[in-house]
Amino acid sequence: MAEQGNDAAAIGKQVQQMVERAIQRGIKGFDYVTGSSTPVGLTPKDVVYERGTLRLYHYHPQSEEVYRVPVMLVMATTNKSFVFDLAPGQSMVEFLLKRGFDVFVVDWAAPQPEERGLTLADYTQDFIPTCIRQVQNITGEPDVSIVGYCMGGVLSVIYAATHADGPLKNLACLTTPIDWHKMELTQVWQDPRYFDVDRIADTLGIIPADIVTQGFEMQRPAQRVAGQMRVWEQMWNDEFVKSFRAFERWGNETLPLAGEYFRETTKELAWENKLMKGRLKVDGKSADLANIRVPVLSVSAEHDHLAPYESTKPLLELVSSEDKTEVKLKGGHVSVIAGPNAVRRMWPRLDEWLAERSV
Amino acid sequence: MSEKPQIDLEASFREMVTQWERNFDAFANQFMGTESFSKSMNQAQDAQLKAQQAFRNWVSHNLEAMHLPSRDDILRIGEAVHRLDRRLARIEEHLAPPDTQVQKKGPPRTKQPPVRAEADDGKVKKVKKDKKAKANGGKEES
Repeated sequence: MAEQGNDAAAIGKQVQQMVERAIQRGIKGFDYVTGSSTPVGLTPKDVVYERGTLRLYHYHPQSEEVYRVPVMLVMATTNKSFVFDLAPGQSMVEFLLKRGFDVFVVDWAAPQPEERGLTLADYTQDFIPTCIRQVQNITGEPDVSIVGYCMGGVLSVIYAATHADGPLKNLACLTTPIDWHKMELTQVWQDPRYFDVDRIADTLGIIPADIVTQGFEMQRPAQRVAGQMRVWEQMWNDEFVKSFRAFERWGNETLPLAGEYFRETTKELAWENKLMKGRLKVDGKSADLANIRVPVLSVSAEHDHLAPYESTKPLLELVSSEDKTEVKLKGGHVSVIAGPNAVRRMWPRLDEWLAERSV
Repeated sequence: MSEKPQIDLEASFREMVTQWERNFDAFANQFMGTESFSKSMNQAQDAQLKAQQAFRNWVSHNLEAMHLPSRDDILRIGEAVHRLDRRLARIEEHLAPPDTQVQKKGPPRTKQPPVRAEADDGKVKKVKKDKKAKANGGKEES
């Protein structure tokens, strides 16, 4: 009898909670639909270099002493770097600053029509080296660690392979595809028999963000709708909604790409898989990964649909470094760098790996 | 006495959404991963680009007839300015050699990596971890 009473009380409590949440959904849902966009990238920083599509940020140190070697994060060319700094408490940059790193971030603005001719050489032989020189000048340190994410990792790897004599100290690649033939859906959609990359690049000049976003979303077509269903269910939960909106904003603010860069990436990397085969040449220099001898960390995600584990795996097999570490984490392409999975799993690993190699 | 499992409708909803997403994506990817889909998608895009190019050519001819610069003309000027900007950046860098630019701001760069939480046996633990990593080909999983 007492047990039945307890059951009834528990059910009553559950029903009450559901009603309260339903009311909250109505009230907060209105704010969600009509509210302005979530502020992101709030960690204090200076823009220390700016030229065309390139931006270099220096974040204000947040510890009494910092490691000798500064860290430069390189963002993917398809997205804005604020995913490294979503919100206080959800910011990889803030985490690294508090752990004693001097942090710089290479970010990209939408390339303008006059930048349609940018190539892999511009990104890896001009932009990254220029940023490194700026970091050296600001810090007075001769060497720099690079952390590249996704395509930012690919650019970092190409830079490292073509600048084997330094000044790179450590290279960390987060979900960085090397074997492009293992990106199966992209391979089918960019089948050279049907995908006329020359026509696209020549006609459009700058590949619009819509096309880039479409390429991402087609890999997980239900993701957006499922996301909206989840946020509706969690509408009462302010933290969830705040985080969701920041991620949603990041996804919506995909960047356009320079046509030449898109053409070169498609032909050299996606079709001919030259990075994997050690045959990629940039500005006349060989980007053979065997040239890389610095410590390398490769972080991949178990359920990464954009850069599957099989595509990232060859990095450590191809570099000549003696000090190399592979970390395979649960989660997907974005949850490796931001969100609860990153906070709990990836950031501490990155901190530990960099700290030992940054003195 | 064991606790009776409670029905959590919200958790069930979340699970249902996850299952639906997984199944839908799997089904869609199966369909979209075919050669015929790729062919149709790219043909549609090709047609759209051809139409866009034809319209652009028509506008360009008309502008030329009116002695007005076309989009391509303006782009060429933009590219020339971009090239000049790049050269200027290089010249600026050469004019102020790195040695004279060093600003050395901020806190001292003296931080050392923390000693492992286990203090006394930290070293032992690290050796063990390295051995484990080596045995695993430098691979860590979590």
